[in-house]
Amino acid sequence: MPELRKTPMLDQLLDGPFPSFVKEIKKGAEKNEACNDLLGQLELSYEEKITHWKHGGIVGVTGYGGGVIGRYSDVPEQFPGLTEFHTMRVNQPAGWFYKTDRLRKLLDIWEKRGSGLTNFHGATGDIILLGTHTDELQNVADDLAHEGWDLGGSGSDLRTPSACVGPGRCEWACIDTLDIVDTLTRRYQNELHRPMWPYKFKIKISGCANDGVAAKARADCSIIGTWKDNIQVNRTEVVNYVNGGFDIIGQVVDKCPTKCISYNPVTKSLSIDDNNCVRCHNCINKMPKALRQGKINGATILIGGHAPILQSAFMSWVVVPFMEMKPPYTEISDLLEKIWEWWDENGKMRERTGELIYRLGMRSFLKATGLPAVPQMVLHPRTNPFFFWDKEEVNQ
Amino acid sequence: MVKTDFGPPKYLDMMSDLCKRNYGKWKYHEVLDTGTLVHVAENGEKLYTVRSATPRLIHIDTLRVFCDLADKYCNGFFRFTSRHSIEFLLEDESNIEPLKADLHAMGYSPGGVGNTISNMLHTQGWIHCHTPAIDASGIVKAVMDEVFDYYTEAKLPARLRLSLACCLNMCGAVHCSDVAIVGIHRVPPKVLDEKVAKMCEIPNVVAACPTRAIRPEPAKKSVVINDEKCMYCGNCYTMCPAIPIFDPKNDGAAIFVGGKVSDARHPAMFSKLAVPYIPNEPPKWPTVVKTVRMLIDVYAKDAKQGERYGEWINRIGWERFFKVTGLPFTDKHIDDYIFSVPTFRSTATFKW
Amino acid sequence: MPFIDVNGEQLEVDEDGFLQDPEKWNEDVAKYLAKTEQVEELTEEHWKMVNYLHDYFKKYQIAPMVRKLCKDNGMDLKKVYELFPTGPAKGACKIAGLPKPTGCV
Ligand code: HEM
Ligand code: HEM
Ligand code: HEM
Ligand code: HEM
Ligand code: SF4
Ligand code: SF4
Ligand code: SF4
Ligand code: SF4
Repeated sequence: MPELRKTPMLDQLLDGPFPSFVKEIKKGAEKNEACNDLLGQLELSYEEKITHWKHGGIVGVTGYGGGVIGRYSDVPEQFPGLTEFHTMRVNQPAGWFYKTDRLRKLLDIWEKRGSGLTNFHGATGDIILLGTHTDELQNVADDLAHEGWDLGGSGSDLRTPSACVGPGRCEWACIDTLDIVDTLTRRYQNELHRPMWPYKFKIKISGCANDGVAAKARADCSIIGTWKDNIQVNRTEVVNYVNGGFDIIGQVVDKCPTKCISYNPVTKSLSIDDNNCVRCHNCINKMPKALRQGKINGATILIGGHAPILQSAFMSWVVVPFMEMKPPYTEISDLLEKIWEWWDENGKMRERTGELIYRLGMRSFLKATGLPAVPQMVLHPRTNPFFFWDKEEVNQ
Repeated sequence: MVKTDFGPPKYLDMMSDLCKRNYGKWKYHEVLDTGTLVHVAENGEKLYTVRSATPRLIHIDTLRVFCDLADKYCNGFFRFTSRHSIEFLLEDESNIEPLKADLHAMGYSPGGVGNTISNMLHTQGWIHCHTPAIDASGIVKAVMDEVFDYYTEAKLPARLRLSLACCLNMCGAVHCSDVAIVGIHRVPPKVLDEKVAKMCEIPNVVAACPTRAIRPEPAKKSVVINDEKCMYCGNCYTMCPAIPIFDPKNDGAAIFVGGKVSDARHPAMFSKLAVPYIPNEPPKWPTVVKTVRMLIDVYAKDAKQGERYGEWINRIGWERFFKVTGLPFTDKHIDDYIFSVPTFRSTATFKW
Repeated sequence: MPFIDVNGEQLEVDEDGFLQDPEKWNEDVAKYLAKTEQVEELTEEHWKMVNYLHDYFKKYQIAPMVRKLCKDNGMDLKKVYELFPTGPAKGACKIAGLPKPTGCV
């Protein structure tokens, strides 16, 4: 074992109240050459203000087209431990729940066959195993498979879907986020492991409008739980909140975006004009004991979110305002498959679903998916008179 | 043939009996302190959650200690949040304090629940990526050290989400964060003709440029970049390793503010530009840290209870925002990308 | 950069084993690269795909998208992975002498 790398700059990030990533790498540096060299290379980056990783490589495991990200140092002579330092993405259990005995098996494999460094988790939700050699990739995958861990997605494929904790530990889950993500992940293993599309496609599922996994902002298909009927009010608990000094006017009544809540200070009673409620969830957030969502539950399906490169970033927009989400989730699967077929047929290289809809118009998207146009899709109707008519729609 | 396509471990196998028993039957929850929650089920059973931020980059030995703690206090069960925090799931209230003490001893502090700053989402940076304009982990560490009081004490008007992406690919969800740090380049990439000819798919490189700044140069089997049109996104480098875009003298961070993803009250919003450029200052990025601190302090002081960052700005107006923060407003703040016109003001109604 | 030796000729490849100079590609090179990608013998079906990729690249300077590649060869993706266990990008493109595919990971 060569001696530990000197890292005067990084060492300044060891102290302080927030847990230190440098300390984490140092834990590995004593027993693993790659970790030690990672410290050295990172110190060099800090000195020179530039990355020392080469452009991504193409490495992989048998039978899969994704799940591994190739990475090579551009200064391997200086840091031989980083000559090959590939990342593996491991599909997380839905909701990121772990039982220690199962997780320890994964840690042991990574100790034996990799750097010992991880990310819990990557931005798409996978467990990230950070850094191993090309000739270990297959072994890691095999060992993981033996313990019941499968790889996640990368490249132009279905990225590992993820979901908020949902019914596992949250009273606000209007839909069974964990079952949905688990079912869809299992149903689309081929799409997940074998890139076949113009570009990546992400599915994220949040149980309510609080959108705990930021589905709207970063998924091509965002599934967000909601309800259709009336908010349930527990009158006794409302009184308890008020008697406890809760600022019901300031925090709930005034903050309601549609001003549909009224409060009578004399009777200490609250009433909601549910016809005007947009189900934004603020009042429920603020008074969880007193207010609960309605009982007719389902999800809003939004499409098209992605990051800003090329066209500008988009937030997902509504394509189905309300879809019942009952197992085996056939309706959402039908929709996804229709979208993929249309996108795959029409999309250009590296064109995300949202960009394609933008290029060809919602009109063409709705026709391909058979979805009806509804007012919930827009903030307001168009303000220009430049709309298209199909041949069938005009008199010949 | 190896086993393939069997999918992730089943989540129910990773859940305690208490969680399984009360699956979908949670009634309400309460915030006990900035590191602790209690969820109460319809049958009255309680599940306590102790949350602590992690640096996301974690060594397996640390994860093993987490496992030990979960075995000791939680029957072997824990989970992570979408923001890289760990959550210990306890059934016995009396285990909360001992667990917290053990966490403190290993350098982890519970926090991030309620009206606090929770863990900072971030990406790989110089640790493991080829396109970053800034580091990720180092800036996160420096910033979180500085604003740590907002992580452990609930003294903000509402929750505040910080995030960082080390380049415009933005692998972390920063564009909808209250305060976001983004790595940017400021000079066009260099074309290494000989390598382009060998390694790159020229039509794809040309198509990759959002501003059509690239055209083919058939004589050299390469491409040329019109520097006037380039806005330094690095997309061409993503497509072709022979067009490097790094420039240590010019790369740095931009800061965006006022985004959110939840629809509560005001619908989700994108973050908007506050500071166009701060140079890289490793190892502790003092200017970035100072600016983020200031942005949070001003908001904490001025916003009304319950107002998220963007809602606060919407109320006071952007002209007031630049006044109260003292940040200069520049031509960089005025959009000139594809969908810019709707961001121009067309009224004569402002604040001074 | 590493080199491979095909019939005595030294050919430069990148760290992932992709040929650096597409002009140097020929049948023997393909056979050599096939072995590195778990294809022991190039059958007629393999050659169909390999030649298709090579010609496509020559014509358009890009690799076809996966859907097109399947359609034009009358194969589904499963079949492609049966022929090339390491997949169309890493396996088939490498054997056909194309440069390393790039894009978002
Ligand atoms: C043009 C778009 C993008 C490009 C070119 C790109 C490129 C990359 C690259 C090269 C890495 C590897 C970092 C490493 O070596 O570990 C990476 C990591 C990652 N990217 Fe992206 N990315 C893009 C957009 C996105 C977006 C929009 C997301 C998520 C919504 C995302 C999610 C991830 C995740 C989860 C990782 C794993 C490492 C991490 O969590 O930091 N990427 N990306
Ligand atoms: C300028 C500041 C912005 C920053 C720093 C930023 C950053 C990011 C980051 C880091 C992600 C990755 C999310 C993930 O982890 O999955 C992302 C994704 C995304 N961003 Fe932004 N963004 C910005 C602006 C915008 C704008 C202006 C829009 C829309 C108009 C937008 C829309 C999106 C969408 C839709 C995604 C989804 C990501 C995907 O899956 O590809 N962003 N952004
Ligand atoms: C949503 C789109 C638009 C609406 C609702 C709209 C509405 C109007 C209205 C109501 C007027 C009459 C003002 C008056 O006489 O008092 C007007 C005038 C005018 N509009 Fe527009 N307009 C739109 C788009 C455009 C566009 C796209 C252009 C040019 C590219 C344009 C150019 C003009 C011009 C040149 C005038 C005459 C101004 C003058 O000389 O008084 N408008 N517009
Ligand atoms: C292609 C699109 C349009 C064309 C060619 C057009 C043309 C005209 C013309 C020629 C006039 C003047 C009529 C006159 O002599 O009084 C006019 C007036 C007006 N236009 Fe448009 N227009 C268009 C779109 C719109 C749109 C989209 C709006 C509103 C949403 C709009 C709102 C008005 C209004 C309010 C006036 C009355 C102005 C007045 O009272 O003096 N126009 N338009
Ligand atoms: S998004 Fe809603 S349902 Fe999901 S964890 Fe957050 S509050 Fe609960
Ligand atoms: S959910 Fe939102 S819109 Fe509906 S009553 Fe509550 S605060 Fe108002
Ligand atoms: S944000 Fe950019 S630099 Fe950072 S990990 Fe993602 S692709 Fe790499
Ligand atoms: S950096 Fe972006 S804008 Fe500049 S040439 Fe490359 S792709 Fe075009």
